[in-house]
Amino acid sequence: MSLEQVTKADPPVADDEAMLVRVQREDFSIDEELRRVRARSKRIGGIAIFLGTARDRSKGKDVDGITFEHYEGMAQKKLREIRERALKDFGIIELSILHRYGEIGIGDNIVLIIAGAEHRAEAFQACKWAIDELKQITPIWKLEHTPEGEVWVEEHP
Amino acid sequence: MVTVRLFGMTKMLAGNQGTLALALPDGRRVKDLVAVIEAGYPKIGELLQKKKVLVSVNQDIAHEDLEVQDGDEIALLPPFAGGSDGC
Repeated sequence: MSLEQVTKADPPVADDEAMLVRVQREDFSIDEELRRVRARSKRIGGIAIFLGTARDRSKGKDVDGITFEHYEGMAQKKLREIRERALKDFGIIELSILHRYGEIGIGDNIVLIIAGAEHRAEAFQACKWAIDELKQITPIWKLEHTPEGEVWVEEHP
Repeated sequence: MVTVRLFGMTKMLAGNQGTLALALPDGRRVKDLVAVIEAGYPKIGELLQKKKVLVSVNQDIAHEDLEVQDGDEIALLPPFAGGSDGC
Protein backbone atom coordinates (compact mmCIF):
# COMPACT_ATOMS: atom_id res chain seq x y z
CA MET A 1 0.00 0.00 0.00
CA SER A 2 1.40 3.38 -0.91
CA LEU A 3 1.74 6.22 1.56
CA GLU A 4 -0.89 8.19 -0.34
CA GLN A 5 -3.42 5.39 0.13
CA VAL A 6 -2.64 5.15 3.85
CA THR A 7 -3.08 8.90 4.26
CA LYS A 8 -6.46 8.89 2.57
CA ALA A 9 -7.76 5.80 4.34
CA ASP A 10 -6.88 6.72 7.91
CA PRO A 11 -8.80 9.19 10.05
CA PRO A 12 -7.09 12.58 10.48
CA VAL A 13 -4.66 12.87 13.36
CA ALA A 14 -5.48 15.54 15.95
CA ASP A 15 -3.96 18.76 14.71
CA ASP A 16 -2.26 19.56 17.96
CA GLU A 17 0.86 21.69 17.81
CA ALA A 18 2.13 20.25 21.10
CA MET A 19 2.26 16.81 19.52
CA LEU A 20 4.84 18.02 17.01
CA VAL A 21 7.58 18.24 19.66
CA ARG A 22 7.81 15.32 22.06
CA VAL A 23 10.22 13.45 24.30
CA GLN A 24 8.76 10.07 25.04
CA ARG A 25 9.70 6.60 26.21
CA GLU A 26 7.60 4.65 23.73
CA ASP A 27 8.41 4.11 20.07
CA PHE A 28 6.81 6.33 17.44
CA SER A 29 5.14 5.58 14.14
CA ILE A 30 6.87 7.34 11.27
CA ASP A 31 3.68 7.13 9.18
CA GLU A 32 1.60 8.72 11.94
CA GLU A 33 4.08 11.54 12.49
CA LEU A 34 4.31 12.11 8.75
CA ARG A 35 0.53 12.38 8.55
CA ARG A 36 0.60 14.89 11.39
CA VAL A 37 3.05 17.14 9.52
CA ARG A 38 1.24 16.78 6.18
CA ALA A 39 -2.06 17.70 7.84
CA ARG A 40 -0.62 21.10 8.83
CA SER A 41 -0.77 22.55 5.32
CA LYS A 42 -1.71 21.64 1.80
CA ARG A 43 1.08 23.90 0.59
CA ILE A 44 3.70 21.34 1.61
CA GLY A 45 5.36 19.94 -1.51
CA GLY A 46 8.62 18.56 -0.13
CA ILE A 47 9.24 16.61 3.06
CA ALA A 48 12.65 15.61 4.44
CA ILE A 49 12.84 13.01 7.18
CA PHE A 50 15.75 12.16 9.44
CA LEU A 51 15.50 8.99 11.50
CA GLY A 52 18.25 8.18 14.00
CA THR A 53 18.50 4.54 15.10
CA ALA A 54 20.64 2.64 17.61
CA ARG A 55 23.84 1.19 16.16
CA ASP A 56 25.62 -1.88 17.46
CA ARG A 57 29.08 -0.29 17.22
CA SER A 58 30.50 2.87 18.75
CA LYS A 59 34.12 4.00 18.42
CA GLY A 60 35.16 0.50 17.38
CA LYS A 61 33.41 -1.22 20.28
CA ASP A 62 30.34 -3.43 20.36
CA VAL A 63 27.21 -1.89 21.85
CA ASP A 64 24.42 -4.11 23.21
CA GLY A 65 21.93 -1.34 23.93
CA ILE A 66 21.57 2.32 24.82
CA THR A 67 19.82 4.19 27.60
CA PHE A 68 18.85 7.82 27.03
CA GLU A 69 18.30 10.15 29.94
CA HIS A 70 16.80 13.62 29.49
CA TYR A 71 16.16 16.71 31.55
CA GLU A 72 12.37 16.80 31.65
CA GLY A 73 11.14 20.27 30.81
CA MET A 74 14.41 21.70 29.52
CA ALA A 75 14.72 19.05 26.78
CA GLN A 76 11.23 19.86 25.50
CA LYS A 77 11.93 23.58 25.77
CA LYS A 78 15.08 23.27 23.64
CA LEU A 79 13.30 21.15 21.03
CA ARG A 80 10.50 23.73 20.82
CA GLU A 81 13.14 26.42 20.31
CA ILE A 82 14.67 24.39 17.48
CA ARG A 83 11.28 24.02 15.81
CA GLU A 84 10.53 27.72 16.12
CA ARG A 85 13.94 28.75 14.76
CA ALA A 86 13.67 26.28 11.88
CA LEU A 87 10.26 27.67 10.91
CA LYS A 88 11.59 31.22 11.03
CA ASP A 89 15.06 30.82 9.53
CA PHE A 90 14.47 28.28 6.75
CA GLY A 91 11.07 29.34 5.48
CA ILE A 92 9.64 25.89 5.97
CA ILE A 93 5.99 25.16 6.72
CA GLU A 94 6.28 22.66 9.56
CA LEU A 95 8.88 20.80 11.59
CA SER A 96 8.30 17.89 13.91
CA ILE A 97 10.91 16.61 16.40
CA LEU A 98 10.58 13.49 18.54
CA HIS A 99 13.24 11.97 20.77
CA ARG A 100 12.92 8.82 22.83
CA TYR A 101 14.33 8.21 26.29
CA GLY A 102 14.85 5.12 28.40
CA GLU A 103 16.22 1.81 27.17
CA ILE A 104 16.61 1.51 23.42
CA GLY A 105 17.43 -1.78 21.71
CA ILE A 106 19.91 -2.06 18.88
CA GLY A 107 18.23 -1.10 15.61
CA ASP A 108 15.37 0.68 17.36
CA ASN A 109 14.24 4.24 16.65
CA ILE A 110 15.80 7.05 18.69
CA VAL A 111 15.02 10.37 17.07
CA LEU A 112 12.76 11.56 14.26
CA ILE A 113 12.80 14.90 12.51
CA ILE A 114 10.32 15.75 9.76
CA ALA A 115 10.62 19.02 7.84
CA GLY A 116 7.80 20.01 5.52
CA ALA A 117 8.31 22.82 3.03
CA GLU A 118 7.04 24.02 -0.32
CA HIS A 119 10.19 22.69 -1.98
CA ARG A 120 12.84 20.11 -1.22
CA ALA A 121 15.85 22.41 -0.77
CA GLU A 122 14.59 24.15 2.36
CA ALA A 123 13.17 20.88 3.72
CA PHE A 124 16.59 19.19 3.47
CA GLN A 125 18.41 22.21 4.92
CA ALA A 126 16.06 22.59 7.88
CA CYS A 127 16.11 18.87 8.63
CA LYS A 128 19.92 18.73 8.70
CA TRP A 129 20.19 21.90 10.75
CA ALA A 130 17.64 20.63 13.27
CA ILE A 131 19.42 17.34 14.02
CA ASP A 132 22.79 19.10 14.28
CA GLU A 133 21.31 21.69 16.61
CA LEU A 134 19.52 19.05 18.67
CA LYS A 135 22.86 17.43 19.42
CA GLN A 136 24.36 20.78 20.47
CA ILE A 137 21.72 22.25 22.75
CA THR A 138 19.30 19.56 23.95
CA PRO A 139 19.94 18.10 27.42
CA ILE A 140 19.78 14.43 26.51
CA TRP A 141 22.46 11.96 27.57
CA LYS A 142 23.40 8.57 26.25
CA LEU A 143 24.59 5.57 28.25
CA GLU A 144 26.00 2.82 26.05
CA HIS A 145 25.85 -0.73 27.29
CA THR A 146 28.91 -2.66 26.08
CA PRO A 147 30.33 -6.09 26.93
CA GLU A 148 32.97 -4.24 29.01
CA GLY A 149 30.45 -2.19 30.98
CA GLU A 150 28.41 0.98 30.75
CA VAL A 151 29.80 4.22 29.34
CA TRP A 152 28.25 7.70 29.37
CA VAL A 153 28.92 9.14 25.94
CA GLU A 154 30.69 12.47 26.26
CA GLU A 155 31.19 13.62 22.72
CA HIS A 156 29.18 13.33 19.58
CA PRO A 157 30.44 13.60 16.03
CA MET B 1 20.11 25.17 51.04
CA VAL B 2 19.75 24.71 47.33
CA THR B 3 18.87 21.56 45.48
CA VAL B 4 20.92 20.65 42.44
CA ARG B 5 19.70 18.09 39.92
CA LEU B 6 22.22 15.67 38.44
CA PHE B 7 22.20 13.82 35.14
CA GLY B 8 24.30 11.27 33.30
CA MET B 9 27.91 11.11 34.39
CA THR B 10 27.50 13.74 37.11
CA LYS B 11 24.88 11.54 38.77
CA MET B 12 27.26 8.58 38.53
CA LEU B 13 30.13 10.62 40.01
CA ALA B 14 27.92 11.56 42.96
CA GLY B 15 27.23 7.91 43.78
CA ASN B 16 24.03 7.72 41.68
CA GLN B 17 22.24 10.44 43.61
CA GLY B 18 19.73 12.29 41.45
CA THR B 19 19.99 15.48 43.49
CA LEU B 20 22.38 17.20 45.88
CA ALA B 21 21.17 19.42 48.73
CA LEU B 22 23.91 21.99 49.32
CA ALA B 23 24.38 24.79 51.80
CA LEU B 24 25.89 27.98 50.37
CA PRO B 25 27.62 29.63 53.34
CA ASP B 26 29.88 31.98 51.33
CA GLY B 27 27.63 33.62 48.80
CA ARG B 28 24.79 32.71 46.48
CA ARG B 29 26.33 33.15 43.06
CA VAL B 30 26.80 30.25 40.69
CA LYS B 31 30.56 30.36 41.27
CA ASP B 32 29.96 29.97 45.02
CA LEU B 33 27.86 26.91 44.27
CA VAL B 34 30.62 25.55 42.02
CA ALA B 35 33.14 26.04 44.86
CA VAL B 36 30.95 24.03 47.24
CA ILE B 37 30.63 21.23 44.66
CA GLU B 38 34.39 21.24 44.03
CA ALA B 39 35.01 20.76 47.74
CA GLY B 40 32.50 17.96 48.18
CA TYR B 41 32.70 16.26 44.79
CA PRO B 42 36.19 16.86 43.33
CA LYS B 43 35.60 14.77 40.19
CA ILE B 44 32.50 16.80 39.28
CA GLY B 45 34.45 19.94 40.22
CA GLU B 46 37.14 19.03 37.70
CA LEU B 47 34.54 18.70 34.93
CA LEU B 48 33.02 22.04 35.94
CA GLN B 49 36.47 23.66 35.75
CA LYS B 50 37.01 22.25 32.27
CA LYS B 51 33.55 23.51 31.26
CA LYS B 52 32.62 19.96 30.33
CA VAL B 53 29.81 20.22 32.85
CA LEU B 54 27.64 23.33 32.76
CA VAL B 55 25.35 24.77 35.41
CA SER B 56 21.79 25.60 34.44
CA VAL B 57 19.42 27.77 36.46
CA ASN B 58 15.74 27.63 35.59
CA GLN B 59 16.55 25.62 32.46
CA ASP B 60 19.02 28.10 31.00
CA ILE B 61 22.82 27.84 31.04
CA ALA B 62 23.95 30.13 33.84
CA HIS B 63 26.87 32.58 34.06
CA GLU B 64 29.13 32.16 37.09
CA ASP B 65 28.08 35.53 38.46
CA LEU B 66 24.36 34.80 38.40
CA GLU B 67 22.82 34.90 41.85
CA VAL B 68 20.83 31.86 42.82
CA GLN B 69 17.42 32.54 44.34
CA ASP B 70 15.39 30.33 46.67
CA GLY B 71 13.25 28.01 44.62
CA ASP B 72 15.44 28.23 41.52
CA GLU B 73 15.73 25.03 39.51
CA ILE B 74 19.45 24.27 39.37
CA ALA B 75 21.09 21.43 37.44
CA LEU B 76 24.52 20.18 36.41
CA LEU B 77 24.58 19.33 32.72
CA PRO B 78 27.24 16.98 31.37
CA PRO B 79 28.05 17.05 27.62
CA PHE B 80 24.91 16.40 25.58
CA ALA B 81 24.74 13.31 23.41
CA GLY B 82 21.27 13.20 21.91
CA GLY B 83 20.47 11.79 18.52
CA SER B 84 22.02 8.52 17.44
CA ASP B 85 25.71 7.80 17.35
CA GLY B 86 27.39 8.88 14.16
CA CYS B 87 24.22 10.22 12.60
